[in-house]
Amino acid sequence: MKKFLALILAAVMLLSLVPAMADSPVEITMLLEGNNVTDDAAVLEKLNAYLTEKIGVTLKPTWGTWGNFDQLAQDAVNTGSDEYDILFTCSWTANEYASYAKKGAYVRLDDPADNLLADYGAELKTVLPELLFEGAMTEGPDGEKGIYAVPGFKDFATMNTWDINVTLLEKYGYTLDDVKNAGFYGWGDIFAKVKAGEEADGKVFYPFIFEGAVAERFVDGTPIVTGDANSLLSYYMNTEDVSVPGAYGNVIFNKYATPEFEKFARQMREYYLAGYIDPAIAIGETATDAWRNAQNTANYLISSEVSLYGYEYTTSEARGIQVAYLMTTDAPYIDNTSVQGAMMAISANSAHPVEAMKFLNLLNTDPYVMTLLNYGVEGIHYTLNAEGEVEFNADARATYSPWTNGLGNVTLLPPQKGQGADFQKRFAEFYAGSKKLPIYGFTFDSKPVETEIAAVTNIKEAYALSLFTGAVDVDTALPELLSKLENAGMQKIVDEANRQLKAFLGE
Amino acid sequence: MTVIPKKSIPFRLNMVSRRTEALFHLILGLFALACIIPFIFVIIISFSSEDSIRQIGYSFVPNAWSLAAYNQVFNLGDALWRSYFNSFLITIVGTLASVTMCVLYAYPLYRKDYKYRGFFSFLSFFTMIFGGGLIPTYIVCKNLLGMSNNYAALIVPMLVSPFNIIIMRTFFQTSVPFDLIEAATIDGSGEYTTLTRIILPIVKPGIATVALLTALAYWNEWFLCLLYVTKRELYPLQYLLMEMQRNAEFLARNSSMIGASGASAIQALPSQTMRMAVVVFIVLPIACAYPFFQRYVVAGLTIGSVKG
Repeated sequence: MKKFLALILAAVMLLSLVPAMADSPVEITMLLEGNNVTDDAAVLEKLNAYLTEKIGVTLKPTWGTWGNFDQLAQDAVNTGSDEYDILFTCSWTANEYASYAKKGAYVRLDDPADNLLADYGAELKTVLPELLFEGAMTEGPDGEKGIYAVPGFKDFATMNTWDINVTLLEKYGYTLDDVKNAGFYGWGDIFAKVKAGEEADGKVFYPFIFEGAVAERFVDGTPIVTGDANSLLSYYMNTEDVSVPGAYGNVIFNKYATPEFEKFARQMREYYLAGYIDPAIAIGETATDAWRNAQNTANYLISSEVSLYGYEYTTSEARGIQVAYLMTTDAPYIDNTSVQGAMMAISANSAHPVEAMKFLNLLNTDPYVMTLLNYGVEGIHYTLNAEGEVEFNADARATYSPWTNGLGNVTLLPPQKGQGADFQKRFAEFYAGSKKLPIYGFTFDSKPVETEIAAVTNIKEAYALSLFTGAVDVDTALPELLSKLENAGMQKIVDEANRQLKAFLGE
Repeated sequence: MTVIPKKSIPFRLNMVSRRTEALFHLILGLFALACIIPFIFVIIISFSSEDSIRQIGYSFVPNAWSLAAYNQVFNLGDALWRSYFNSFLITIVGTLASVTMCVLYAYPLYRKDYKYRGFFSFLSFFTMIFGGGLIPTYIVCKNLLGMSNNYAALIVPMLVSPFNIIIMRTFFQTSVPFDLIEAATIDGSGEYTTLTRIILPIVKPGIATVALLTALAYWNEWFLCLLYVTKRELYPLQYLLMEMQRNAEFLARNSSMIGASGASAIQALPSQTMRMAVVVFIVLPIACAYPFFQRYVVAGLTIGSVKG
């Protein structure tokens, strides 16, 4: 009996030791998006040693991919699981930032009662532009506006650009200025000459390969109206100065019913009939592949790209040609979609919100942590050249390629080969020069017209891409589309959007 | 030896007319063609060159042939063989375990002298009609049973299939007369001996049918992997393909949101021909296994235990 008691006593003493071991690091779990990581052992070993010493945590990342992230994130949130302390979120994944914040899936970071951001993220507050936090303000479950995720400091403004194959352009005696001055409506001659020249040896060449929906945005100057997930609405911005309203003022239109749209569609039809546009981009299933394929093999003259600063280095190198990006607005513009493009939220079910916040703070302010997590271990995944630029070791990089923009503050990263030593400084300066749209902060709430949207979207799906790419006759398809849209209640959606916009602008 | 005169062929008496027979053959032939053509198409696409697909789309007669897709697949190296191994492991272990459970569950349900057979029949039948839904299932599997990032997560959720149990029970009922069990008992056979030595050999065709259904289900399963597994070492082949497909679809849908950084991601994606080549890799083993099972499936239709 005595022995038994002694055993119990020993057990109790052991148990009481557990809280005393609070010094052992807390494990933070994190679900990330868009990665291609098969071997993170070397990175985590270094990272966790550093994190343990610095803030007493270790990191256990789950490297979500484009294909499985939506499912993993939804399951984790909907089952109320505490599996992940930190979740990637943004305006375009299934765990969409604003709606999931409203649902109560994320911890409010600037909660007046428990201000994690102020208490454990002070450095973070100073490093990230104020504008990002402004953009992260969203309604929580209590209806009050607050910050529910740490916004990523990346290319946070939208840069609409035409991607120009300069090498090919110059081969036919044109310059970048010719393309710029001619404008979308005047490219016919350039296309004709290049197509004729490239096809001299009998192969097929399409000079103009782009993303249909995106090209419409570029030509008409219609940014995405946040909340309009199905490309039904157009807001015309002022492409000469994106910070002031355009010719129409702050009004939202049926995207397909404006004279601008008709003009655009007719021009596309002309280019299509002349054989300048690859028919593959007019078919939903092959569009993206064809477009990217043409770019990657340098088999195009003009293409479309929602670009980012310094991207021409990367693409020129990869494609073996000189690439230039021609911006279609005077400056990159800031809208909700771009500001909320990549964020990190702390799960409302996390047992360690404080440690998670400490980690996010460090991740976004400490170049060592960010570089290690993003680029891997120096000497294994990359080496630094004489200019201090990163040169990747292709084999090791193939097993460890996280999605750079999905991890946070990319301005902490050392420049990649060819970008130049002061790249991050120029990057930050460039985006500091971006402008807010006059309707920045407006989010269209589609709830009141849900039924109409469902009906209209089905109709639009059948026509939009072919109109964007000139694959159908505008004279027959466009009136058909418009009358069908009208019958399905399109006007109600437009009216509702304008009512909400007026209310937002306080008019 | 007598020769049957050609005029009166007795065994044609019960048969349909030649014209109807020809029609049936035509219909069945077209049906078989409809089954095989998509697969032939997949094989052709997997051997087409990327350029050909870009120029003329999917076609039975591509402009140019290429082995690039298969090179890419073999370049997956360990990932490919590892997935192959996983697929086989899951299918074999899963099928063995699942069929065992199925037979052991169905057998008592068939025994008229089993007191609770009504209750247990209902229990399995009920779950066939009313599922728990995704979220509760997920919580039970992941949080309660700890099935996350292990082989169990890929095998256990599919172990018991009420549908197969009902097939098996019906098979018992139609092919094993109860008298047989009584006869065995009178001859001094215990319950286990009766089951293993007498019943099982009779229901072999039924077991083969269920095993085929189960093996197919395990081989084609990828959703469980999507739900419960994030470790690449555990991916079955089918999920390796699904992941390529889903990555491509997601990026295509959101490319304008992700912007330029998504471009490099798309670039890293496997080509269309490669995805088709993976399909070929997936289909081949199961297509090879089919004929072996089929023998039993056909036999199952005609063989009973008590003649007359």
